[in-house]
Amino acid sequence: MEKVLTDFVKALRNSNVRVSPAETIDAVSVIDSVGYEDKELLKRTLSIVLSKTPDEKDKFNACFDDFFSDEIKQQVSVDMDQLSDIKDIDSDLAKKLLEGSQGELMLSIADAAEEAEIREIRYFTQRSVFTRRILEKMGVGKLEDELMQLGSSREDELPSDLEQELRNQLTNLRERVSDYVQQQFLLHGDVSGEQLREQIFKSMNMAQIDRSYLNEVHSLVRKMAKKLANLHSRRKKNFKKGKLDIRKTIRDNWVNQGILFNLSWAYKKVDRPKIYVICDVSGSVGAYARFMLMFLFSLTEVVSKLRGFVFSANLGEVTNDFKDAKLDEAIEKALQKHGGGSTDYGQALTDFVSLCLDEIDNKTTVVILGDARNNFGPEKAHLMKTIKERSKQVFWLNPEGKYRWDTGDSVMTKYSAYCTKVFQCGNIDQLERVVSTLLKTAI
Amino acid sequence: MTDGPKKIIKDITKGFAKHGYICSEQIATAVYLASELEKPILIEGPPGVGKTELANTAALYFKKEMIRLQCYEGLDESKALYEWRYGKQLLYTQILKEQMQEVLEGAKGLKESLDRLMKFEDIFFSEDFLETRPLLEALTSEKGSVLLIDEVDKSDEEFEALLLEILSEFQISIPELGVRKADVKPLVVLTSNNSREIGDALKRRCLHLYIPFPDAKLERQIVQARVPEISESMQIQLVNFVQGIRELDLKKLPAISETIDWAKTVILLNSEELDAKLAEDTLNVLLKHQQDIEVVKKEIPALVSSATETSDGKSLN
Repeated sequence: MEKVLTDFVKALRNSNVRVSPAETIDAVSVIDSVGYEDKELLKRTLSIVLSKTPDEKDKFNACFDDFFSDEIKQQVSVDMDQLSDIKDIDSDLAKKLLEGSQGELMLSIADAAEEAEIREIRYFTQRSVFTRRILEKMGVGKLEDELMQLGSSREDELPSDLEQELRNQLTNLRERVSDYVQQQFLLHGDVSGEQLREQIFKSMNMAQIDRSYLNEVHSLVRKMAKKLANLHSRRKKNFKKGKLDIRKTIRDNWVNQGILFNLSWAYKKVDRPKIYVICDVSGSVGAYARFMLMFLFSLTEVVSKLRGFVFSANLGEVTNDFKDAKLDEAIEKALQKHGGGSTDYGQALTDFVSLCLDEIDNKTTVVILGDARNNFGPEKAHLMKTIKERSKQVFWLNPEGKYRWDTGDSVMTKYSAYCTKVFQCGNIDQLERVVSTLLKTAI
Repeated sequence: MTDGPKKIIKDITKGFAKHGYICSEQIATAVYLASELEKPILIEGPPGVGKTELANTAALYFKKEMIRLQCYEGLDESKALYEWRYGKQLLYTQILKEQMQEVLEGAKGLKESLDRLMKFEDIFFSEDFLETRPLLEALTSEKGSVLLIDEVDKSDEEFEALLLEILSEFQISIPELGVRKADVKPLVVLTSNNSREIGDALKRRCLHLYIPFPDAKLERQIVQARVPEISESMQIQLVNFVQGIRELDLKKLPAISETIDWAKTVILLNSEELDAKLAEDTLNVLLKHQQDIEVVKKEIPALVSSATETSDGKSLN
């Protein structure tokens, strides 16, 4: 019976419910006490042990229903002797259907499935193909031919008992095989298609991802941003004032005969990155703007001390618009307000400097998202120099490929002279690398 | 175990109902598993669906002492696990200094003094100076206990790591004294409002129960159990109204506790029938944000009419 459970766990993992070996062991001991008899009870119990978020619970329920759907149907045994025309049938499958036990039948399905290479099943569209292949391997073709002959050779209207029985069994078998394939798909296939989709999205150029996938990509970006923010925001510094940590103080000073000499303080300060993000949403980066804004939005969600700005020519702050807003609304609003115009980096930098140069200190990271295509206007690179000098670091993320930098009206080199680091950032894989560097060094 | 799990789960449902807690089968199963497997249970769900109450009721049901630890940012081991009695320890060192004279009296040479000092019993770090805090208390409790670690999501991640040893092994390592193991494992209930994601390590060690908003039938039972004075028609109308509100897009949806408060308010006002005016006047019991109240106010007539309609239909049946 444990095989069933491990198979089920495998199916769960396939549909993106994370189950650890320890939880599997828990599940085994749970089943020891509740047993397999009551399906509802089993479902409730396993749901408590195996799925650990509301989202996972939904997936669990769907997966459970799928996996344990085939109830073993009771076979009505037919008295063989009563069937007069039994000698007309001689295909193996027919004999198996009529005489064989359920177990043997399941075994032959499994054998046929093995032959049909069921392990290769990946996508749900392949289910019918595999079902047909398995049935063929089991010799359904021959049986159908024989049934045809039986049907044509009979004289009266009604089909004979044997024919009726065989037809019933055949329908039964089809169902059985299709259930089996479904189960195998749960085990081997990419059930939600999520892994595949993630893989594709990650390496695809951001400009080419269709807008309808915005939400999927967003969840991907957010997952990444959250993971990285968690990873990097836990560094702590000891305070030099505040509440006394008596326990530590006494322990440290025990060597001084209990005279409190060296003091320790209780509060620890969490260092969080302070980040300013400036995002180009002008016409030239039109295709990328949406995704850059999405990135900005996701960052606002996970980093508390972040201010976001967008510009085509004039710079505007979007920090408050992005907080407590929904992703698509926030992005639409930002694009509507600031997007689509012709680019003027000089003006944008002037605005930025006058707006918040005073707040930039040696703990601040400034991130600029843009293609540095300045419409041949004044680039005012000296402002970049000022920003660079005041801040801890300046990063420039350019969605264009490196070979296009400095072509046409791009003035990347002029600006990159004053950047701590310049990244090419055209797809999510690259973005992930950038964010990791950013959070590691922004602290 | 002679009783089957089904019977025990039924008993739990009944026993909880006796204490005024109406639980779904899912909840009862979770309680059964927690006591059977002796594993902690992590409860998540929107605020006000009775997560904390579940622990309270479990304590009453299992007739065990209830020990509660409220989590907050900055909670650390000295408030959750144990603390040394510093004042007494300092006094002890003072006494020790005086006593030292007697102990060492007549000792010849450094070696002998040292030997005597070694033989001298040192109780600086010992049970006598140990102040137990909720977690240690729950482990040392002789009759067993129900330990409620409330709103674990409010605590820091460091504290979460601290819980791991207690939750998986039911033991606490005190560096100076060694490992304290629980004789009787407590039933541990953790609650979370999901204000931050709980770490995987912690989740893996717990059973996980998600309590959603109840459906109309269950909510009616709960209101009946908690506010028995209320008339049946009124109770149906209230619950339908609240269920209707939960369909709207609000900042904070009203939970069961709000429904119960509302039912009590209605009793207090001596109202017999739910109408638009009553709903509007008492809306602030149900909703906690001005924005939400504005939104719902517009919908009141529709909500009231549908709530009373369905209740009429039910009472005819």
